[in-house]
Amino acid sequence: MRIINVPREGVPVFTAEDVRRDPAMGRRVNVKTEVVVVGSGAGGAMVAYELAKAGRQVLVLESGRYYPSARFTEHLGDTMTQVYREQGSQFNSTADVLFPEGQCIGGSTVIGAGVMQRPPDSLLQRWANELSLPQFAPATVASVFAEVGREQFVHLNEAHEINATAHKVIKGCEKMGFSWKPVARNVRQCALTGHCLAGCLSDRKMSSLVTYLPWAAAYGARLFADCHVSRVLLRGGRAVGVEAVVRDPQTGAEVSRMRVDAEVVVVAGGAMQTPLLLQRSQIPDSSGQIGRNMAVQPFVQVLAQYEEPLYGFRGALVGVEIDEFMESDGYMFFSALAEPEQLMVQGEQAAGAEHIEFMKRYRHLAGLNAFALDEGRGTVSWEGDLETGRKVISWNPSQAEFDKLKHGAALAARVFFAAGAKRVHMPSFRPLHVDSVFELDHTLDQISHGLKGMYSLRINSFSAHGTCRMGTDRFQSVANPQGEVHDVKGLFLADASLLPEPIPAAPHWTVQVMAKQVARNILASASGLFLDGNA
Amino acid sequence: MTRTTNTSSSAGAAAQAAAPIVSLGRRRFLRHALLGSAAVLAVAGGGFAWLRRSPVDQLPVPETIRHLSDAEYHLLHRAAQVLLPVAGSALVPLSQVPVVANIDHMVGLLPAHIRKQVGMGLTLFDNAAVIAGWHGRRFVDLDDAAAVDYFDRWASGNSIQRALSTLVKRFVYIAYWRDPVTWEAVEFDGPVSERWGLAYLGNAPLPQEQGEERA
Ligand SMILES: Cc1cc2nc3c(=O)[nH]c(=O)nc-3n(C[C@H](O)[C@H](O)[C@H](O)COP(=O)(O)OP(=O)(O)OC[C@H]3O[C@@H](n4cnc5c(N)ncnc54)[C@H](O)[C@@H]3O)c2cc1C
Repeated sequence: MRIINVPREGVPVFTAEDVRRDPAMGRRVNVKTEVVVVGSGAGGAMVAYELAKAGRQVLVLESGRYYPSARFTEHLGDTMTQVYREQGSQFNSTADVLFPEGQCIGGSTVIGAGVMQRPPDSLLQRWANELSLPQFAPATVASVFAEVGREQFVHLNEAHEINATAHKVIKGCEKMGFSWKPVARNVRQCALTGHCLAGCLSDRKMSSLVTYLPWAAAYGARLFADCHVSRVLLRGGRAVGVEAVVRDPQTGAEVSRMRVDAEVVVVAGGAMQTPLLLQRSQIPDSSGQIGRNMAVQPFVQVLAQYEEPLYGFRGALVGVEIDEFMESDGYMFFSALAEPEQLMVQGEQAAGAEHIEFMKRYRHLAGLNAFALDEGRGTVSWEGDLETGRKVISWNPSQAEFDKLKHGAALAARVFFAAGAKRVHMPSFRPLHVDSVFELDHTLDQISHGLKGMYSLRINSFSAHGTCRMGTDRFQSVANPQGEVHDVKGLFLADASLLPEPIPAAPHWTVQVMAKQVARNILASASGLFLDGNA
Repeated sequence: MTRTTNTSSSAGAAAQAAAPIVSLGRRRFLRHALLGSAAVLAVAGGGFAWLRRSPVDQLPVPETIRHLSDAEYHLLHRAAQVLLPVAGSALVPLSQVPVVANIDHMVGLLPAHIRKQVGMGLTLFDNAAVIAGWHGRRFVDLDDAAAVDYFDRWASGNSIQRALSTLVKRFVYIAYWRDPVTWEAVEFDGPVSERWGLAYLGNAPLPQEQGEERA
């Protein structure tokens, strides 16, 4: 019998500070391992756990810092500064669409809202049949979803986890005849603080920080924070390791350069960073699809004011979803209300007395995020050379995507009016509100696509995916159905970039399922990948 | 020393507030337009001395302000008064929230190139009032109603105007609302875990595998 020690709290992580202090490490560090995993978020943590559990020697390199939960302050501003990429200000090239991402041990799972959603079976079946990806056939993949769900206490919100904002959504749906349901979340004994996006101080949200990473470490995986992988190393059509730079997270100063020799490289940097790393590494790209097909899952936030105080910011952040339009039109709606500082960033504010009136009624507000299925036309590219180049995220809504988002906002407004809202604030750059459902169309007419849909609707994207899509055709996709990059032996992807198509579902659960499958594929092909080829 | 709000986390707030100006800097045609507008104003305002003088320019600036220029300080000070007319409401008065000191701190955390663009944007916002809407005065000299009107017009104006009015509003509103002293008035609870004495659950239990035991 093996005895496995999971630390009661925290994860054993080497940081830039440890590297600096250790005289044996110096300015250049060379490490050998069987598997190096780039990124410790939803995908990377899962792969690290599965492979370490199977007895493989695993090293995880994470560019963000290690920020143990005990340091969370429940102040979103602090978390943004410490663990969000670019301090929460990663934008598209026209800087009007925000793409927040976690950059820390645990990746975006640390700052996620905890919503766990499965894509509709009809989509999974189509992937199995039409894209020749049989691992997604609902009958096959169901057990993997269930396993991941069990590991993370995924459950449907219970009555006490449905707050007043969510109750307004329920009431509106009941009046409109729309189907709704409690969301499923990966939370253990939720304490209803409402601070999910600022990190869960008491470790109830089952982020990778308190699940797969400590478990992986218990099985022997080693983790480095502050360690940005700059390049994947190739030799003879095979991935043989990575190069990384260890930086002081406070000053950004270089502490050390690291070279890792590995038999298998797994890249799980997320949908935006993974293609950038592959581009910087000049990975063969016979399909030309690296960094393309980015689905952004755009959403807008509609706020409604009610006569009575709701305190809609209290309780579980996300209570219910409207699932009426998910399969038919790809719309998802989640109830949620942001904290004051975030409201100032997410929505346009009126000036002067109108703003004061708005904030005086903060406790009367309810919020509904309307997500639309986009066309997967976004791109991420690395422009310039390895050292001085920069990333460019390109996505602006097409006319059709814009119309969908506007329609989503209109549906959200109707739900709120049906539940008795006195005023609904439209998610536009220009502050616009509507005081009756009869004014809605007229007001919506004032929100036009204009020039490339820029600076019109206020759009956010929390869940980009598909930038290195999986498929059987090496001229159409970046990775094969096992998750291995076409034409590069030993280089696997295991994150949101792999998703073959835009999905009408929050992606966290699916990403973890895919990552588990990729890890198991690696183990199944051990004889061709590892020097010690035992499965 | 003047109090500033939660300085450890200001870098994120600064980045969020400055985002609208970054957008202008990134879009070449708008960057040129921004410079072009400045040039037009320069001509309209009388050559290099296009910065119209204002009585406000003579007012002292607190010594604790380290990163904002005098003109930027006066602009933001005036913007805070106009954007946050809290008098007569339950909201916390500006005398108790160091809005401009907070902005000063945030601005000090911005990378140099963005800092420069923010400066350009603020200068343009202040001075464009001289000709935009034919106010004939800088923003700092507009009365309350005209100043709110100026914000409203710019909020539905061209891309540059929208970005600049958003820039000023974001700095002011973020600097105010991120200060915990402002929350009680709107009954936002802020951090609660400690207050509620929540137990810290630590790492989740390892999924049990056959032939293994969790220690
Ligand atoms: C605020 C927010 C809320 C969200 N809420 C939900 C939700 O409720 N439900 C849901 O389903 N989804 C949610 N998402 C999306 C979800 O978190 C992501 O889809 C998921 O985490 C993607 O997993 P990933 O492994 O691809 O990337 P991530 O989890 O983002 O992890 C990638 C990690 O790789 C690291 N990395 C990147 N490049 C490098 C490099 N070169 N070297 C070293 N390390 C690198 C990054 O720093 C990061 O830590 C949310 C996202 C955000 C930002």
